[in-house]
Amino acid sequence: MIPFLATTPIFPILLAALVDRVPGIFFGLPLVALASLVFAATHHEDPAEIRFATVHWAVWLGGILGLVIAAVLLLGWFS
Amino acid sequence: MALARDKTPAPRIVAVSPDDGSAIDLRNPALAAALAWAVPGLGHLYQGRVFKGRLFMGAILGTFLAGMWLGGGKVVYASWKPGDTRWAFVCQAGAGLVAMPAVVQALQLHGVAKQPLFGSLFMAPPLTSGQYVSRGYADRLAASDPDIDAEDFFDRPPLRQFRGEQVSHWQRRLGRWFDIGTLYTMLAGMLNILVIYDAWAGPLGTPTDADRKSRTTPKT
Repeated sequence: MIPFLATTPIFPILLAALVDRVPGIFFGLPLVALASLVFAATHHEDPAEIRFATVHWAVWLGGILGLVIAAVLLLGWFS
Repeated sequence: MALARDKTPAPRIVAVSPDDGSAIDLRNPALAAALAWAVPGLGHLYQGRVFKGRLFMGAILGTFLAGMWLGGGKVVYASWKPGDTRWAFVCQAGAGLVAMPAVVQALQLHGVAKQPLFGSLFMAPPLTSGQYVSRGYADRLAASDPDIDAEDFFDRPPLRQFRGEQVSHWQRRLGRWFDIGTLYTMLAGMLNILVIYDAWAGPLGTPTDADRKSRTTPKT
């Protein structure tokens, strides 16, 4: 589900909307990338596997955190 | 006989790579873990895992230093006074020696000297209301900190007593950058715990049956 969302054309639009609504969200993206990289590198030894796992973790972490932010924004919008 | 037994090589401590099942020589795991804490990635370099060592060093130290820069150099400090305990430092300390000047500065400021080492502002904890500092440090703060002037101190010879909350000045001046910088440095320290474990015990990942099967099955 989340990897699918990340590859659809609607994803950049959602991201742009989030950036507009949540100032400073761009400063969270390097942290997601860092966490993904460290998670991947502590689970693998081969550089190619680390690269693949980094993308995998980044999509999942970014997707889950993105959904949480979207839920919080929706709650704020409806309240 | 005893001489022959002494020449027997010590057993090597190895971990198994989850990617290809090869052995990873962990050398002295405790030393590697200590080195990994001291300088992120150094434990891996000691074990000969050069790619991961460089990767961790760049990623963890880069993020820590980026956080320091974003937070105006004010976000890493140690304080364990009641009511002003800096819990973020518990996480930041995971980044190793790069965070340790904060401990030295806190000990110096709260010790007999009543000023950080060499009077330097680097990683010095913020002054709290009623805190005594040396006259030299008070003068230095009044000269270098735009939010503090000489009237912010009571004269209590041979010391001076601060009247204000320096951390409030920092937060007002830096705004959200104080929190973003704190978050960056905290995350760098916390992620280094994983790196330390990796140096001590090898990769966390274990190959699944599907992985093993895909590697043993020839690709068509």
